[in-house]
Amino acid sequence: MSSSLTCTKLTLLTITGVTIQIIGLSLFVYGFFPVKPALSGVSGAESFRAPTCTPVHNQTDSDLPPHHLKSLYEELSGIAPFDRLVLMVIDGLPAEFVLGKDDKPPPKALMDAMPYTQSLLANGMAIGYHAKAAPPTVTMPRLKAMVSGAIGGFLDVAFNFNTQALLDDNLLGQFLKIGWKMVMFGDETWLKLFPGLFTRHDGVGSFFVKDTVQVDQNVSRHLGDELSRDDWDLMVLHYLGLDHVGHIGGRNSILMAPKLLEMDKVVNMIHTTVIADQENGQGQTLLVVVSDHGMTYNGNHGGSSFEETDSLALFIGLRNHVSDYALYTLNTVYQVDIAPTLALLFGVPIPKNNVGVLLSGTFGSFTDDQQLKALELNSWQLLRLLQAQLPGLSCENSLCDGFSDDQGCRINKCIGNIENMICCLYLKATMLHSSWRLKDVSSRSYGREDYSGIVAAYYEFLKTASEWLSRRVTDKPVNLLALGVAAMMLSCLILLSLIFSFYKEVYYTKMQQCFDSKYSMHTWSLDETFVLGVILILVVSMGSSSMVEEEQYIWHFVTTTLNMLLLRKMMQSLLVEASRSLFRLYKGNKKIAFQMCSIFVLIISGRTLRGWHQGGVNWTYLPDISKWLEKAGSNHVKSIQLVSGLLMISLCLFALSLSGSRRKISLVVGFSFLMFGLLVLQHIQKYQDNIFASSNYNATLSVQIIFAGLGIATIGTFVAYPWLMPICVSKIYSSHHSFMSGSVPIEIQNDYPLLELKNSLYLIGWAYLFCWCLLQLLLQQPINALPMLLLFVQILASLIYASNGSVHHKQWVEIAALYYLGMAGHFALGNSNTLATIDVAGAFIGMSSYSTLLSGILMFIITYASPSFFLLSLVMYISVDTSYLVIPQKADSEHLLKNMLAFPCLVPLGLNSIILTAYTIVLLLMRNHLFVWSVFSPKYLYVCATTLCVYIGVSFVAATVIYSYLVLAIRKRMQGFSSIDTR
Amino acid sequence: MSTNAKVSADADAEAEVVCVQLMLGLVLPLPLTLFIAHHLYSINLLSHPSLTLSLISVIQCPIVLLLYGRLRKNRKHCSYLKAVGRGLLGLPIGALVNALGAIALGAPVGTQYFSQTLNWSLMMSLFTIVPAATVFGSSWKDWQRIFAHTKPMGSVDIIICLPAHGAVIGAWFGAWPMPLDWERPWQEWPICVSYGAIAGYLVAMVASFGCVAVRARLQHVKRE
Repeated sequence: MSSSLTCTKLTLLTITGVTIQIIGLSLFVYGFFPVKPALSGVSGAESFRAPTCTPVHNQTDSDLPPHHLKSLYEELSGIAPFDRLVLMVIDGLPAEFVLGKDDKPPPKALMDAMPYTQSLLANGMAIGYHAKAAPPTVTMPRLKAMVSGAIGGFLDVAFNFNTQALLDDNLLGQFLKIGWKMVMFGDETWLKLFPGLFTRHDGVGSFFVKDTVQVDQNVSRHLGDELSRDDWDLMVLHYLGLDHVGHIGGRNSILMAPKLLEMDKVVNMIHTTVIADQENGQGQTLLVVVSDHGMTYNGNHGGSSFEETDSLALFIGLRNHVSDYALYTLNTVYQVDIAPTLALLFGVPIPKNNVGVLLSGTFGSFTDDQQLKALELNSWQLLRLLQAQLPGLSCENSLCDGFSDDQGCRINKCIGNIENMICCLYLKATMLHSSWRLKDVSSRSYGREDYSGIVAAYYEFLKTASEWLSRRVTDKPVNLLALGVAAMMLSCLILLSLIFSFYKEVYYTKMQQCFDSKYSMHTWSLDETFVLGVILILVVSMGSSSMVEEEQYIWHFVTTTLNMLLLRKMMQSLLVEASRSLFRLYKGNKKIAFQMCSIFVLIISGRTLRGWHQGGVNWTYLPDISKWLEKAGSNHVKSIQLVSGLLMISLCLFALSLSGSRRKISLVVGFSFLMFGLLVLQHIQKYQDNIFASSNYNATLSVQIIFAGLGIATIGTFVAYPWLMPICVSKIYSSHHSFMSGSVPIEIQNDYPLLELKNSLYLIGWAYLFCWCLLQLLLQQPINALPMLLLFVQILASLIYASNGSVHHKQWVEIAALYYLGMAGHFALGNSNTLATIDVAGAFIGMSSYSTLLSGILMFIITYASPSFFLLSLVMYISVDTSYLVIPQKADSEHLLKNMLAFPCLVPLGLNSIILTAYTIVLLLMRNHLFVWSVFSPKYLYVCATTLCVYIGVSFVAATVIYSYLVLAIRKRMQGFSSIDTR
Repeated sequence: MSTNAKVSADADAEAEVVCVQLMLGLVLPLPLTLFIAHHLYSINLLSHPSLTLSLISVIQCPIVLLLYGRLRKNRKHCSYLKAVGRGLLGLPIGALVNALGAIALGAPVGTQYFSQTLNWSLMMSLFTIVPAATVFGSSWKDWQRIFAHTKPMGSVDIIICLPAHGAVIGAWFGAWPMPLDWERPWQEWPICVSYGAIAGYLVAMVASFGCVAVRARLQHVKRE
């Protein structure tokens, strides 16, 4: 049976498959995630006129000078606007802290932390709202939503680290058009969103999370000066400190109350100097305190839980005094509602793509006429947006033309398809409004029911329209999506068929060699079936949103089941004599005993890892080991971290000593890594005590030294070790090699550098693992040190299992098991399928200045610690695995390399391609699901990142093996020549 | 050789009889227990999981021990009482194995779950380990054949092997709805797993009865 699959062909096909996959993935991502808004252009004076049938493009008003435009707007709207706005953004402040939850005031400690704000609320001087933010709850998309009223595309998250200017119609642009002067202090995201817009600004970086004091001082120091000036109309203050406090210590951090007090003082200062004292000739000033998003109990954000989306909107200085403010705080509003409210309060056109609704209660001080006018303007704007998105809502529809069809719209219930419903609701409101307008003024004051009826009718229309618009998924380019999915399916097919044909080839080769063996390759054992079943289970489970949220359960369940099935398989070959003595059970079963022990270790450590972080979304409140330890105190956590670091280092050294080579060079490598390990431990001991010291200069420097040292040591080992390791041609040394159990013909040993390759791969793989361990020890949260140790133990156990396997064991099963263990470990480190669990604080360890790329890489390293760990362990796996030693006599280098690398590279790629393709299809099917943006899309980002992780890991493995092999082959040949010469 | 055949034929005949009794004694009482418990004492798996599970165990235990004791192997060296005794000994060991397995697969650990886990594992032990312990004692070969290879030979093996596997597989599938956010009371730890185990056990019991009956008929035909 000649091998139909040469090494070159295999490599080329694999690379083709991966390339097609990348292309398909990018096409799909580009097509699926909407980036462009629905309507282009900027609202002008036409927004004060009712929508007409033929779109009128009168660009004349945009040429007006700003003050003319301002008076034109005022005249058209008939609403006397406020003059100045102070927009205070407190990053990450949950509305619960200020307004309480479920009809209850906030806890006493929080009430005391914000005395002035609470007194304003109690006196009716301020109105507060729970403004529900849309996911993803990260700063930039939320700012965009607040100023433009539009719910942005999901990929804004990806752009959050690479901010771009906001070009769509927004409030600040409208203010600029009427000639406002604006100043900004705080988060520099504003400067990136609106470059050149602010006359004075002081931006602070939003990513240096460890700093909680300086960020806010940099904002507040301008306040005294700015509040006394009268040359600005809009002042934006963006305080980041509270978000940083949350990231470091969670909601209940000891720093939280002082931070709230600081914010309260700012509110106090602004209110007393600017608003309470309105007779200073600066006009009427409004203070709006908002937060961009909330935070979870751990202080993270990004997802769609109530804690994260519960953001604040607080209006201070509205001219009315609200007696029962509880009325307004109870009904939840949306964050996008801030945009139209501010636009109407300040007399500018509502931004074009706004989907928000005027906040009821903010117009309390205006006359009834003005209030209705504001609602009408809001309705016109939404109707325009609807007309652009619903072709059926055209002007041919006689219903929308207005007054012709009185009777049709007098019905109370509006039903039917969305066009009819919206038309009907709109007409109902406008009809009531116009009939109200016709009444004379004296009779109006008696008809409060009429008035509230109109308001209710308007709100019914506005709410319906807003909900429909925000739920609507923008049109997706079908061709692009279809092409992307087709490409991914093609690549999946290519990879799977490669695995299959290689599997067949290996199987035939083995059949030829072991006919006599009673072990039949045909038996399709239970564990293999289950490995395939796992994929099926995963694919099916991805269709359910709650399974996606709780994916960690699935991984743990299937890995443990797989381990139990392997245990059962061990039992099958466990030979026990007829005697009843259980004590003699292990006699003559040394290898199986080793394997069984390693499986027990896998199961026990897997269960501990499962219990470490509860994870997921719905059951996070359940107790777990990490919560318990954190409650016990940071001293315990730190000592556990140090102990697990020590254990990790000693295990690594033990693993090195197992390799059996006591050469000087491996001693040198081991010693250098030991030094770095001690350095890491010293760093932890010294700096991880308190949250402030970790950002100082010395700590950063020591981390940088460790980064550099680890990098140099690892790359040095990879490059130099194959050149430096001794090569021997003697025929006896295989006897003392610990991992060399296969019977390799002497000729092959002499012709090919197999033993040397095994040795060098063992050492290089060891260096990778050690380097990764130390890196994670440094970067991960202290609580995750022991899980990293357990993951390392799992890897060692799997390697022991593989090295003790019989010649006939299935390599692909073991590699798939490693992949599954890696994914189970991913969730065991506290990750989940929401963006909230990404450890942002860790991404800035050792960074002296902010760099998007570097912190992105660090974030990736932290998040994908476990899958990468297991992929890197494949190098060591190849070195201890024995199955590819069953090679035909006519083996050549190509054949050897192929046997060594095909499964370790193809199996992870194949598994991942199945998951990627299946999940892409699931996402496409779920595009109208309620949770598509909050559950399925974040998971898709994770799937894409996992794909990237697999690519990187596999290419590392392939590069290491090929490089070592080539170097050793060259050296062997040279030595062969020289030994011939000497003979 | 002939004595062997005779012994095995005897065993098969015995197995047939016992199987019928098992059907009457196990398959019927299980739902009956649940039914009576629910209607007389108004307890069920949902409201009183540990109590219901222990009730099942208490009713199951004598039936399983007494009926499977009749199928004991190697009768010359093993009296009926001894078989029942080793079955009783197998009960706590099997419970321990089952409990460890469940915990490894993610069952919650904690004092508040102790009684649930204990009662569940006792029930599982009665389904899986106790019959085998009663029949085979400590003969490794038989255990390996039944549980590692799943290759039942003869009627006795079938009525041990099938229900045990049915119970385990049923429990495994029963665990799947647990993490879902349906907020149903039966998603709590031992409840849906117990439902799965009981359902799997009953189905496998009926199936094994069918197998034994078919085997008996075939042998009958062969003998004629």
